[in-house]
Amino acid sequence: MSLLLLLPLLAPLAAATLTALVGWRRFTAWAGVAAAATILGCGITLATRITSTPRIRFGTLLRADALTVTMLIVIGSVATLSCWAGVGYLDADLVAGRTTAHRARLYGVLVAAFLTAMSLAVLANDLGVAWVAIEATTIATAFLVGHRNTRAALEATWKYVIICSVGIAFAFLGTVLLYFAARHAGAGGSALALDTLRAHATHLDAGVTRLASGLLLVGYGTKAGLVPFHTWLADAHSQAPAPVSALMSGVLLSVAFSALLRIKSIADIALGPGFLRTGLLIVGLATVLIAASLLVGQRDLKRLLAYSSMENMGLIAIAAAAGTRLAIAALLLHVLAHGIAKTVLFLSAGQLQHAHGGSTRISDIAAVLARSRLLGIAMSSGILVLLALPPFATFASELSIARGLADAHLGWALAPLLLLLAVAFAALVATTARILLGRPATDQPAIAVPRTAAIALVLGVTASVTLGLTAGPLTHLFRLAATALGAAS
Amino acid sequence: MSTATYTELLDLAAGGLLLTAVLIVWRRELAAMARLLTVQGLALATIPLLEGARTHDPALVGVGGAVLLLRGVVLPALLTRASRADGEPRRESTPLLNTSASLLAAAALTMIAFALSRPLLALDRGSPATQAAPTGLAVVLIAVFVMVTRRRALSQAMGFLMLDNGIAAVAFLITAGVPVIVELGASLDILFAVIILGVLTGRLRRTFGETDLDLLRELHE
Amino acid sequence: MTSAIAVTAAGLQVLGVAAAAPLVVGGMRQVRARCEGRAGGGVAHPWRDLRKQLRKQSLRPAGTTAVFRLAAPLLAGSALLIAAAAPLISTGSPLDSTADLFAIVGILFLGTVALALAGLDTGTAFGGMGASRELTVTALVEPTILLAIFALSIPAGSANLATIVTATTHHPSHVVTPGALLALVALVIVILAETGRLPVDNPSTHLELTMMHEAMILEYAGARLALVEWASGMRLTVLLALLANLFLPWGIAGPHPGVAALVLGAGALAGKVAILAGIVAAAEVFVAKLRLFRVPELLAGSFLLAVLAVTAASFLTPVSG
Repeated sequence: MSLLLLLPLLAPLAAATLTALVGWRRFTAWAGVAAAATILGCGITLATRITSTPRIRFGTLLRADALTVTMLIVIGSVATLSCWAGVGYLDADLVAGRTTAHRARLYGVLVAAFLTAMSLAVLANDLGVAWVAIEATTIATAFLVGHRNTRAALEATWKYVIICSVGIAFAFLGTVLLYFAARHAGAGGSALALDTLRAHATHLDAGVTRLASGLLLVGYGTKAGLVPFHTWLADAHSQAPAPVSALMSGVLLSVAFSALLRIKSIADIALGPGFLRTGLLIVGLATVLIAASLLVGQRDLKRLLAYSSMENMGLIAIAAAAGTRLAIAALLLHVLAHGIAKTVLFLSAGQLQHAHGGSTRISDIAAVLARSRLLGIAMSSGILVLLALPPFATFASELSIARGLADAHLGWALAPLLLLLAVAFAALVATTARILLGRPATDQPAIAVPRTAAIALVLGVTASVTLGLTAGPLTHLFRLAATALGAAS
Repeated sequence: MSTATYTELLDLAAGGLLLTAVLIVWRRELAAMARLLTVQGLALATIPLLEGARTHDPALVGVGGAVLLLRGVVLPALLTRASRADGEPRRESTPLLNTSASLLAAAALTMIAFALSRPLLALDRGSPATQAAPTGLAVVLIAVFVMVTRRRALSQAMGFLMLDNGIAAVAFLITAGVPVIVELGASLDILFAVIILGVLTGRLRRTFGETDLDLLRELHE
Repeated sequence: MTSAIAVTAAGLQVLGVAAAAPLVVGGMRQVRARCEGRAGGGVAHPWRDLRKQLRKQSLRPAGTTAVFRLAAPLLAGSALLIAAAAPLISTGSPLDSTADLFAIVGILFLGTVALALAGLDTGTAFGGMGASRELTVTALVEPTILLAIFALSIPAGSANLATIVTATTHHPSHVVTPGALLALVALVIVILAETGRLPVDNPSTHLELTMMHEAMILEYAGARLALVEWASGMRLTVLLALLANLFLPWGIAGPHPGVAALVLGAGALAGKVAILAGIVAAAEVFVAKLRLFRVPELLAGSFLLAVLAVTAASFLTPVSG
């Protein structure tokens, strides 16, 4: 059973090594997809075991509880869809001369390394190792964002590396301070291990823990795209190739936020729930405000999707601030549903980008529904998930988050939140209507979608619809995760 | 080694760390900044070496040696090499804040760092190393200031290295370092980050002609 | 308690500084001349200059007021007062209560302001220019001197200069702390600025537009000029002596010294000042004068170092013995 903890790390590592040695070929690309599917498989298998054994360990290094399993499922599903579409995407780029074999090999290696790092971040037993993994994701994705060697991509890469590295450095400082507080509370050499920290949480010095939590909120919040260090998000997600944008928007932001969830569970014991609740609420509301205002009148499709991710992360932060078991479970459902939908949307946007000669300007794209039924349906379903309309899962999750806020006596935050969500709703509807509907003009031919991308899109849409109709056994998993985090009822 | 000697040397190392940070704010030439970063790395490495020598802990001495090699030799050398590349001017372009104002801002940031670290000092009054931790925090704040007010890509990269030096100093001063595996991971991460920044600077120069970050204006809302 | 020996010590300090000031200036000029390959005018040349000026007629520009008349005596008087009160040869001056940090810096400042106001009083362009430049430098120098010596006073526990010097004599390791070292650097920079040496101001320049200190005294002649030059020399000597005694106080006589201790103290002080003056003069040969708009940068830097010295001294654990 503990092998199930090692596989999500070893499989992508093997794929990376293979691609590094052989280069980008058909079978190395499929190896990447296989690695992603392995992560999903391990996640699902662990989910069946986690109800009987709340904590599964592999030595002192790796640990899985319900939250880990949830995140593994999210990583696995988003990665499988994105890598599947990536096979055809990169081949199309190679054929059209937009990229070279060397760059394609780098892409393959870095995406697989990225998956390893994300899996390590959720499987780590130790806050320090989790930090190393999250920093490794920044390093792995740096040259992925700059994959296309244009001026805009270079600018986006520089901003991304600098801002995220500074944020992660602050998170490291916070981790060091937490280690210091834990050592003084009596924990031994393994003071950063999650269970040890939980055990000593009541004895942690309040002043130092407050400083540490603040730094960790700012640091991991940078990686999660929360205000005030959010300025890299739109640039990086819009300039990266579409499968990478899907991975980053769909799951990297959530992985960083899951680290924050773990810290919140410890800080709440040491400081009482008020400190991080206020912090997350302020940061969350500010993020939703800025994202919603930037969605209005947005002219670039991928930036639109990036700001929508930012808005959803703000919503997730507010749900974490509420902190009730219902709110946390809803948060996790939202992470999964949003991840899959965002992947579908970014993959469609990638196909649209290829069809329009590399441009993602909304004014250039029109009548998609008429030109390609598949892309039209995929985009519509993705947008419907973002709009939180039934029967999709986000309807249930956002409703539960609102209920959670009310339960936590934070009902006053509901009014501004719903207003901002309505603004985002209107902006998204207006923009996508412009893109999807209408009659194609003569210079807008039908769009051909390569088979791999088509399959990925179909799978994604199916998953979204299924998730919406019945979350099924996942609800139990989410509730277990909420309890594992120590959420009050 | 006696406690008095240990405390003196530790305080000198911490003071040296802060002094190099201030001098980096003062100097404008990239080569001078790289030299100061070397000295800063040396001052930083002294801290775990002293601790290891006092507690007779070979692991800590090993970590100190690794820090010396990485932050005192390898990373400044990488940055110096990048600064000597063709077409890279020797001086910083007009900074956002003139020198006198920058120095006064650095003084203010040092005060703020000492104020912020009061809970740290309160928790561990007996240890001279913890009492010196505010200098590390001051270096962190000054590094953020340097990153924000410089316009050359390499100056930002050097500021980032200083930020990491400051955080490592705080880590070594308050807890004699974090667990080895975390330290190893952190060192690898900073190494890769600096390499990436160096490569990116080269690409910036080839694409834009120079590395003034004000040229990165294409992406906006 | 005023004892005869304490009064003797104070008197010895005043006479010593008064007599040695032109010799210090002459010595510095001689060292500089030798480094530059010239023969030089000899160490006693400034004394000969003073004698020459005393024989000349003292002029007063038309339209000047009492400010101009009183500036030179005020400058000289303040320098003599500091020489009497500061711990130069012995730490037990009868004016010990005046040897507080703030008082000493205030008296120094009084002299500078008197000269600057007199420069304005002459109504000439160069007088005003010199005065404004001098006061700009002083505005940045005074806080730095206060902070630097304050940093030294933290481990000693008192702002009285004699107490600081005694504490350093008993605990030599105080000098090696980061606070003291930063204070040393800051003090060196501000002493160079306050006394008008390179790189802030060239004392041997004849180009009026580059002058700071010299421009203020262009209108002086005769005995008044002699008084001003002698007072400037005394300020230089006293500041160098203070610098030496704050950081390397060995040889200084205690609060109730015997005759032998006094002689030893005088000799030690003479030696230390001579060496310091020689180092400053030799360094001047290799340094170029800073452009005027760069001077505030240098002084802001020294202010920052003094601030860091204070924070280092108050937060880093003081070492006992």
